[in-house]
Amino acid sequence: MGETYKVPVGPIHIALEEPVYFKVTVHGETVEHVDILSGFVHRGMEALVLRRNFLQNMIITERTCSLCSNNHPFTYIMAVEKIAGVKIPPRAEYLRVIADEVKRAASHLFNVSMLAHLVGFHSLMTQTMETREVLQDVKESIWGNRMDLGANTIGGVKYDLDKEQIRYLIKQLNSIKKPIRELAAIYRDNRIVRARTEGVGVLSKEDTLRLGVVGPTARGSGVNNDIRLIYPYAAYDKLDWDVVLEDGCDVRARALVRLREVFQAINLVEQCLKALPDGPVKTKGFPRIPKGEGVARTEAPRGELFFYVKSDGSSKPERMKWRVPTYLNWEALKVMMPGNKIADISVIFNSIDPCISCTER
Amino acid sequence: MAGFFKIAIRNFLNSPTTDPYPFGETFTPENYRGIIDYTPELCIGCNTCEYVCPSGAIRVREKEDGSGISFSFWLNTCSHCGNCGYYCPTDAVFNSNDFHTARHQSEKFIPTIDDGISYVQCSNCKQKMKRPVEALLARAYEEITEEVRHQTSLCPECRRMKRFERM
Ligand code: SF4
Ligand code: SF4
Repeated sequence: MGETYKVPVGPIHIALEEPVYFKVTVHGETVEHVDILSGFVHRGMEALVLRRNFLQNMIITERTCSLCSNNHPFTYIMAVEKIAGVKIPPRAEYLRVIADEVKRAASHLFNVSMLAHLVGFHSLMTQTMETREVLQDVKESIWGNRMDLGANTIGGVKYDLDKEQIRYLIKQLNSIKKPIRELAAIYRDNRIVRARTEGVGVLSKEDTLRLGVVGPTARGSGVNNDIRLIYPYAAYDKLDWDVVLEDGCDVRARALVRLREVFQAINLVEQCLKALPDGPVKTKGFPRIPKGEGVARTEAPRGELFFYVKSDGSSKPERMKWRVPTYLNWEALKVMMPGNKIADISVIFNSIDPCISCTER
Repeated sequence: MAGFFKIAIRNFLNSPTTDPYPFGETFTPENYRGIIDYTPELCIGCNTCEYVCPSGAIRVREKEDGSGISFSFWLNTCSHCGNCGYYCPTDAVFNSNDFHTARHQSEKFIPTIDDGISYVQCSNCKQKMKRPVEALLARAYEEITEEVRHQTSLCPECRRMKRFERM
């Protein structure tokens, strides 16, 4: 049967959401080997942040990407707070979790709706987006923007929730529980979705560990690496929750992890609202950032996000470096793709929830 | 497919979920971070907004003729992050919830807010100085007495001298 030839996919391609270039070697219709070339959206952010002061960088890091936009400033701020030795008030810890989990739920819903789009089930995609719209409205009403919340600041958070807003948040979260349950059942049981996701893009547990894969991509292969649990920050150690794990190792398992994490996120927000302590949301004044180095890690919707900040005691950082989850996850594509059909490339690519604009910064 | 049919039929019976904008009203939250607004009466010309603005959309400078402090804002450079409003000590600059940012090409590179404050004269030595702002006084003093008012009408130098006299 057929001979081997090479197919370019990307950097601008109808089935790819983001610019990355796959050199795919196919035999007939089956993928044999994948090469990944990247660097199309490099913006030089790591150099840019060195020319801005610590307060401006809270915003610039947020613009790294849009879907995990809350986690970038969050992690950066945690690293800066470590240098300055700031301890944030307890109310701020809970408010940080609330902002982060609302973002996580919206991000995961976006990813699974993209999955529906790529398998050609467009009505499922629009319906998922429609449900997600409720969360977008929540973000817009409470934080003022659909994507960039600007929730965190050095020493605490920039927003506070009054009784009215808490009631609104609870009401909106309750209103999407049933629709998401319905949609999750379709993702799980529908014949078309199953046919396109089950046994596709398999990543074994051994390979997951070998490649250091992070986030829901790893949790779909049964590897528990949730930073929120193993290296708790903010209020995560005070909440009652379990890591979501699936052992299907395929595209379907990753989607199921994300869908279950949406419920988990809603639950975490509800717990936070119930336990929300009184008090200030921010430390007084603005701390001087002394000379020093700090690192911080958080669990972004796509996996572990890592920030390194070095300060020389001036108003600007001396060096900043961040490592984003997709950087680790896209290596796994070289394992996931071979053996699958060429039509599955975009479905598999989507299953790692890629964020190229984070990775290339 | 049965699962989705249920949703489809329900959607068919429900009214549209989209807003008829621009022909009707649309949902605009109170807290939406829209176009920047500026109230010169509240501004103290402290330059904080320029310092925290990551986009360089604000410029606060001494006016060329030395009569006060100018405040310029470029809408097309602004990223609507809200940092300026958050750190402004008097809320002179803030995000309104207006989201209509479309402008003519000719307005692209010119400041959309070009305003500022004028200096006042010290009631004693007549030197130019930044004027006191009520909002900040209210925050600093429990009650704004005549004495406070008199103090704030003086330039820092005269205020110091007055204090020495009383010692
Ligand atoms: S607008 Fe606010 S922050 Fe900017 S100079 Fe005036 S008082 Fe200061
Ligand atoms: S909203 Fe942000 S970008 Fe716009 S002027 Fe204020 S600080 Fe600058």
